[in-house]
Amino acid sequence: MGMAAAMRILVVEDEQKVSALIKRGLTSERYAVDVAADGIEGLELAEAYPYDLMILDLMVPRLTGPELLQRVRRNNTFLPVLVLTALDSIDDKVRLFELGADDYLTKPFAFAELLMRVKALLRRGPVNRSSTLRVGELELDRLTQQVRRAGKRIELTAKEYALLEYFMQNEERVLSRNMIIEHVWDQSFDGITNIVDVYVRHLRSKVDDGNPFKMIRTVRGTGYTIRSGNET
Amino acid sequence: MKRNSLRSRVTTFYLGMLAIALVVFSAAVYVGAKTFLTRSLEQKLRNNAHAIISDYLVPLEHKGEPWLVEEMTESYPPGYSDPFVRVSLGTRILYQSGDMHDPFVSMSKVPLPSNQRWFNAFHRETAASGQRIVLYTVPFHGTNGSVIFVETGASVEPIRRVLRSLLLIMLLATPIILVVAAVGGYLLMSQPLKPVVVLTERAERVGRKELGERLPVIPSGDELERLSLALNRMIERLEQALAHNHRFSADASHELRTPLTIIRGELESLIQVPSLPNSVMECIGSALEESTRMAKIVHSLMTISRLDCGEEKIEHAPVNLVDVVNVTLDHMGLLAEEKHISLRFYPGSATFVMGDAMRLKQIVVNLVDNAIKYTQDGGEVSVVVTTEGEKAILRVTDTGIGIPAGALPLVFDRFYRADQARSRESGGTGLGLSIVKAICTVHGGAVFAESVEGKGATFWIELPLLRLDTRVETNVDPMLETARRPVPGR
Repeated sequence: MGMAAAMRILVVEDEQKVSALIKRGLTSERYAVDVAADGIEGLELAEAYPYDLMILDLMVPRLTGPELLQRVRRNNTFLPVLVLTALDSIDDKVRLFELGADDYLTKPFAFAELLMRVKALLRRGPVNRSSTLRVGELELDRLTQQVRRAGKRIELTAKEYALLEYFMQNEERVLSRNMIIEHVWDQSFDGITNIVDVYVRHLRSKVDDGNPFKMIRTVRGTGYTIRSGNET
Repeated sequence: MKRNSLRSRVTTFYLGMLAIALVVFSAAVYVGAKTFLTRSLEQKLRNNAHAIISDYLVPLEHKGEPWLVEEMTESYPPGYSDPFVRVSLGTRILYQSGDMHDPFVSMSKVPLPSNQRWFNAFHRETAASGQRIVLYTVPFHGTNGSVIFVETGASVEPIRRVLRSLLLIMLLATPIILVVAAVGGYLLMSQPLKPVVVLTERAERVGRKELGERLPVIPSGDELERLSLALNRMIERLEQALAHNHRFSADASHELRTPLTIIRGELESLIQVPSLPNSVMECIGSALEESTRMAKIVHSLMTISRLDCGEEKIEHAPVNLVDVVNVTLDHMGLLAEEKHISLRFYPGSATFVMGDAMRLKQIVVNLVDNAIKYTQDGGEVSVVVTTEGEKAILRVTDTGIGIPAGALPLVFDRFYRADQARSRESGGTGLGLSIVKAICTVHGGAVFAESVEGKGATFWIELPLLRLDTRVETNVDPMLETARRPVPGR
């Protein structure tokens, strides 16, 4: 996280408690965070400082989110913008991207997910696309699509493979059910089934059964994460 | 001609009125004509009789019979028969005009006056040849005590003839008038009704997609103009109500989601506190799970309300239901496997409907998820895609606990749960089937359920079948292909 200290993030959010939460969370991840409580203030700050990222609530007073986004984009086409929205129709989302948002997050969100998206936006590019993913003694070969733990081959179904790959790309990070659904399935599975839990349970039995160290962990109320076990 | 159209009803009604009016009018004319003709004939006969008495019989006593015959022959010559005239003294005929010619009536056969009741009155007689004639008889009392009868008469045949032709004209004219009035009226009615037809067609279209359209205002200044204006005002109010509803949905979701975000955030930061006792972690975890569920409910409710009021934009592309089911079941296989439920798909041939692949997939997910949820270990869930006439049918059948008959009509209601305990424990929102229903509705279809309690349930949806021309059918939504990854060993 050496780089993170240099990153400066602008949060435009009128709901004081929400901005405080985001600020607290991001600060503890060693980002520098400025908060603007309305659109005008947000615009002034965005034009005054070279931010690395803007987190923008769509419904802020004085200047609405979309207006602010348009004004910012006039001068600065590079600033990554993550939009927080309470709207979730496909229409609204498409409109957001048309206005120049880079990503969005629907309220209520898990902070872990916000953090993931922030990191993904700041990273942009150097995504790990090497053919082999490693987490502790677990190894996933993207070319042959084979998975081994401590050299022992594990047979996975297509879904389990996609799930494990997603976990391993995000080692040590908590993935919410929402993120997993959107990434491995799609939105039509959202909100109804316990599908994630079932698949994770199966994946876990294949990966962790018979091993004293359990790599795939449940984070109660939030989601799942994979641990290498190197530090423990 | 539609039986129930306003046009035919109005036409029928006024034709009836017209027919009654014509019959009454004809009857009045007929009776009137008959009375008038008879009266004038009688008037003429009476005048003639009295004229004969004052002109010839009064001076008869000092002028003598030959004078009478001479005078009368001059005034009423023997060949002259209109009216017929006869002067008689007892059984002796003093003078008599000739026979009637048109029609022929032999007057010598007409009996001499004998009945007291005939005096100073009209009586009818049937001539030997069958004609009806009318006679007027006046007795003249001479100073010498003798009684001379003057009779005048005429055939009623000319009157009858006139009346017959009048009747004929009426019988012919009435139906012709009625037919002309019917055709003319029906055609005429189409003119004022044309705006109504246009109004109806446009009104049908309003609200299918959006309310934006207004009805044409009929500038006639009459009831129809007021109707079209009133309808437009109604559409405006509907539009306002919908806009209000939309604003409410957006506001409500925003207002509910912001506190949810805060609750979540606070709990998540709480969980970061090191060395919390397990029981506290347990509580926080539970609270987090419930906040997730509440978020799901808010999300689902918004989806339904947007679908219901047509706010949610949906794609319109040909979608093969068989592909949708294949991909979806592929994603859900493990759910069934875990409960040892055999999940089968019986695909028919490619079955296309017009719609939104993601939404249709959501239908399959919800129905299959439900079926698996309510089926015991070792049961069976089967999915069938078929067509029936112009309908595409997707059927999901399970061998689960079923639904009590009384609960069947309610299962699509929001938050309805047939089995409270079970569904809550499995973490549902109680909105899955409502979403299915809402999606079916926006696709112009419907969803149905039937069940035998304890034996299982069948849910099926019917959507308008899309008949594709032979080769256009490979255009399947690429969204369906995401998350499909070839893996060896599968």
